Amino acid sequence: MRYERPATIEDVTALLASGGEKSFVLAGGTDLLVRMKNDAFEADLIVDIKAIEGMSDVTRTADGFEIGAAVPCAALGENAELSRVWPGVVEAANLIGSTQIQGRCTISGNLCNASPAADSVPAMVAAGALARIAGPDGRRTVPVQDIPQGPGKTSLRKGEFIEAIVLPDPGPRSGDAYLRFIPRTEMDIAVVGVGVQLTLAEDGSIASARVALGAVGPKVIEATEAAETIIGTRLDQPALDALAAVCSEVSTPIADKRGTVDFRKQVVGVLAARAAKIAYQRAGED
Amino acid sequence: MKDGTAPVTLRVAGREHAITSAPGRRLSEVLREELGLRSVKIGCDAGDCGACTILVDGVQHCACLMPVAQAAGAEIETLETLDDPLVAQLKASFLDHGAAQCGICTPGVMMAAVELLRETPAPSEAQVHEALGGVLCRCTGYRKIIEAICALDTPAVETRPEAGQAVGAPVRRVDGRAKVDGTEVYGADHVPLGTLLVRAVRSPHFHADFELGDVSTWGARRDVIVLTARDVPGENRFGTIPGLEDQPAIAEARVRYLGEPVALVVGAPDVVEPLDLGTFPVEWHPLGHSLTEAEGAADDAPQLHDHRPGNTLIRGRVISGRPEEALAGSRHVARGRFETSYVEHAYIEPEAGIAWLDDDTLVIQACTQAPVLDRDETAKVLGLPKDKVRIIPAASGGGFGAKLDLSVQPLIGLATLATGQPCRMVWSRSESMLASTKRHPGTMEAEIGCGADGRITGMTFHGDFNTGAYASWGPTVAMRVPVHASGPYRTANFRATARAVHSNGPSSGAFRGFGVPQAAIAQESLYDDLARAAGIDRLAFRRLNALRDGDRTTCGQELHGVGLGACLDALAEHWHRATHEAAEFNAGATGALRRGIGIASCWYGCGNTGLPNPSTIRIGITPAGQVMLHQGATDIGQGANTVITQIAADAAGLPLDALTLVGPDTALTPDCGKTSASRQTYVTGKAAEAAGRALRAEIMRRTNLPDCDAIEPVEGGLRVRHGAQVQDVALSGTQTDELGYAIRVEETYDPPTTALDADGQGTPYAVYGYGAQIAEVEVDLDLGTTRVLHMIAAHDVGRAINPQLCVGQIEGGIAQGLGLALMEEFLPGRTENLHDYLIPTIGDMPKVTSILIETPDPEGPMGAKGLGEHVLIPTAPAILNAIRDATGVAALNKVPVLPHRLRAAIRGHA
Repeated sequence: MRYERPATIEDVTALLASGGEKSFVLAGGTDLLVRMKNDAFEADLIVDIKAIEGMSDVTRTADGFEIGAAVPCAALGENAELSRVWPGVVEAANLIGSTQIQGRCTISGNLCNASPAADSVPAMVAAGALARIAGPDGRRTVPVQDIPQGPGKTSLRKGEFIEAIVLPDPGPRSGDAYLRFIPRTEMDIAVVGVGVQLTLAEDGSIASARVALGAVGPKVIEATEAAETIIGTRLDQPALDALAAVCSEVSTPIADKRGTVDFRKQVVGVLAARAAKIAYQRAGED
Repeated sequence: MKDGTAPVTLRVAGREHAITSAPGRRLSEVLREELGLRSVKIGCDAGDCGACTILVDGVQHCACLMPVAQAAGAEIETLETLDDPLVAQLKASFLDHGAAQCGICTPGVMMAAVELLRETPAPSEAQVHEALGGVLCRCTGYRKIIEAICALDTPAVETRPEAGQAVGAPVRRVDGRAKVDGTEVYGADHVPLGTLLVRAVRSPHFHADFELGDVSTWGARRDVIVLTARDVPGENRFGTIPGLEDQPAIAEARVRYLGEPVALVVGAPDVVEPLDLGTFPVEWHPLGHSLTEAEGAADDAPQLHDHRPGNTLIRGRVISGRPEEALAGSRHVARGRFETSYVEHAYIEPEAGIAWLDDDTLVIQACTQAPVLDRDETAKVLGLPKDKVRIIPAASGGGFGAKLDLSVQPLIGLATLATGQPCRMVWSRSESMLASTKRHPGTMEAEIGCGADGRITGMTFHGDFNTGAYASWGPTVAMRVPVHASGPYRTANFRATARAVHSNGPSSGAFRGFGVPQAAIAQESLYDDLARAAGIDRLAFRRLNALRDGDRTTCGQELHGVGLGACLDALAEHWHRATHEAAEFNAGATGALRRGIGIASCWYGCGNTGLPNPSTIRIGITPAGQVMLHQGATDIGQGANTVITQIAADAAGLPLDALTLVGPDTALTPDCGKTSASRQTYVTGKAAEAAGRALRAEIMRRTNLPDCDAIEPVEGGLRVRHGAQVQDVALSGTQTDELGYAIRVEETYDPPTTALDADGQGTPYAVYGYGAQIAEVEVDLDLGTTRVLHMIAAHDVGRAINPQLCVGQIEGGIAQGLGLALMEEFLPGRTENLHDYLIPTIGDMPKVTSILIETPDPEGPMGAKGLGEHVLIPTAPAILNAIRDATGVAALNKVPVLPHRLRAAIRGHA
């Protein structure tokens, strides 16, 4: 196994472009090291991106935040400004694994692991987050939901990697929230996860909303129809019931030891309503 | 230098270490194997357990998830490298509060705590939860850990009892220092230079025939030795119960469970560790398989053992009175069918050990609960005389029953005999979960009746238990369950039967309670049905039927020293308070949350069921006046080393710290049997009491005092005090025996039991312990989640030899009972890791109120009874009954009550 710790983004893409099939980007390693042990495979090439300048920074830009690909999730929670503007994204990132995992894992890695149960992804999708990709042919930026293509599969091309996640400013009277369901208190993989982001009109009704559902399909579902049920409302009970019903309807979960299809479809509705309430309250305080 | 390695400089506690390593190697492995920092424990290699938690630049990290190259330049701290007043204070607090039981998670827990305490010197409980959320502990139930961290500033109560006052005092664990220092030696921690590594080639099938290819060429090409069943020199069968040994150390031609070893690979660690065992030459011919008791018992099920038709390992029964007639004539009858799952012990230490040759004796130092069984069975498999095998139990990083079976012992023994070199084996988490025993899954049907006055009239019970591929402790479950199925209640008319059925699941063995926790779920759920039907308060219903002194059990045994009534009485005020609070909460509830309370009791016979299980304790005094206690009971965290020492000291009249522990070690300690069946405090304790008394008599014989108040070692002998009189017994210069002792005593105790007849009548146990617990829970009706808020546990321990250790057992048992009730379900082939198999974390653990009841047992040492297994029996049924109270759902007949199961039941109920 070849292990490289390049200093520039160009070196990363060049290495990845020249590497074999089993070439991997290493940031926190919380997925990669476990997979290498469990599946007992040896990587051809590991490219450690932690030494690259700026890769571990959270940057406030004119219209949002840029989160470098090597920023551990714990650092997001320690960033007061980010936590104020995007509390739901930060909460989601700080639900991944345990305290120790959060000290290493990254939201870019969580995205590229392409698990339908990734905690940070529904929150990012609801937030309208973008992934900035560096590759041998330069940079491109895509919505985060375009990255995962199904369990373990991404749309990244040979030589490409995500260098940063971009979170746009949500504007005034906005709020977001993420809730997930697990059978124990902490340290588990989401059985269902729901991210909600909404912005209120001046009269207090919901002007725009985004709802994203995790672990109820092969990849995270952006539930546009669900969001529409609450736009124009003040999140009264009929709106919440409609939101829950549509979220259940558009979910296509599998049954496994963590929950049946019926259970996941029901829980996704309950969590969507609860998350929407939190986001609504946050938007009102904004 | 191997290909792909590079120089790395690690800075550990300010000191630089230049090493050469593959850059992607796990930091945990490098710290342990290259730098010898063995306080860094490896429990899962996946970031699930936190045992390898260290500080990197002051922040807690799982060292197993950090490639060594990423640690270069950072400041690393491990428990043994920390030397500051805060850490000293934390270690003292852990000792004072009994926060370390087996101690395997302790270094990781302490490192996470150090990070917290550096920032927050006086943390709240919530802050401790937050900081320790990533470290699993399987022994303590976390409560004592939280106390130790939160009460860091509270000065410890001095507990150095006077001679004769040790019993009843909350003395510190006598073997605790190494646990809090991180220097305790577990199965994976003793690695002399030149030790070879052993790995097993395991079956990828549940049931298959196989043919090995050219294994020697395969091995030679890779510079390793391959050992197969053909290389086993003795009888390739081991087991736990005489006559039922059926498990090959290495499979011969057929495998019966997923993960069964078919060959060993032995060689240099850097060769064996990265070896791809997927290329091992073996051809598989998969066979049909069964995984449940129902599948195993089916007419067309694949048969596992030729001599056990129908896959029936054994049946057990207890019959008294006329149960059918009694039920027919009952005013109220409750019946139900209950199912429980495979439950994994999930100790944080996967099985590990090392073997070496000392002249012509094979020495094995591995984690175990049963050193003499290990010796005898390993000797048989390896074709050695028993006295040529010496077992030195390593400190056990948790056991809970599964380390009562052989694991690595015959395998590393074989490798050592074949190579002449020290050989070690360290199972990965998934190997441990594949190859270790489990709690028996059970399918139980029961029917219980009572009169209009609420008195139990009769009961019938049948349980089928999935005993998996090999016998292990299946027979014990099949016997214990019928004996205990009535619960600790007067049941004049009774029939209970149990059957242990083979399947191709993992072997079910011993797990804290031997099937009794499963049976208690059936019985205690039906008691709630009956109490409701009879219109009697649920606690009062149990009090009405509770066994009392002079009552006879369903086996016809007359009981004495029954403290169940006292336990229930002690719970009454809590029950009324909790009832009131839950009703008040629910009256005001508008959302999805509802509260409920539940109660359940337990009883449990201490020691083997109707079979001899003697313990022998030896005490010797050297001419220099040193008192040596040869104590062979393995301490797996429960505290046998401490409790046995307390009893021996008081019986002898010596101060506690005058005794020096020897063993366990089959070469140095007489047989104290197995650490099972909650027998050590009682059986070995009784032997220790007898040995202490005998020692005192021997000493007194050398004086002319009529009696003594205390004995103390002095230079060259002993000083005996009787009131104002003092006499010295000079030992220096006296003749010594072959062990070098001037005085030596040895006493054996075996419980006075009888074998059970065909109807299960007799005296299966000489001592029983009793208890009852209340659960207060909060259920989210929309999500089906249950949060246990508070457990109140009253346990009759006869005499609390060490109250702090008793409470530690209660809290730890409750954590495991909570897991059994709410989250733990081992699915063969799908949950062999600690992220798919969930055990309670610090955040799941409720507040626990422990109440120790001391109704002396006439037989137990100083009145003491066992406790270790009793504590988890009532937890699951109390929680189930509380969920029913909160939701109104009566159909909770399968554990764990996973949220999707509870939601489905709530929907069905609505």
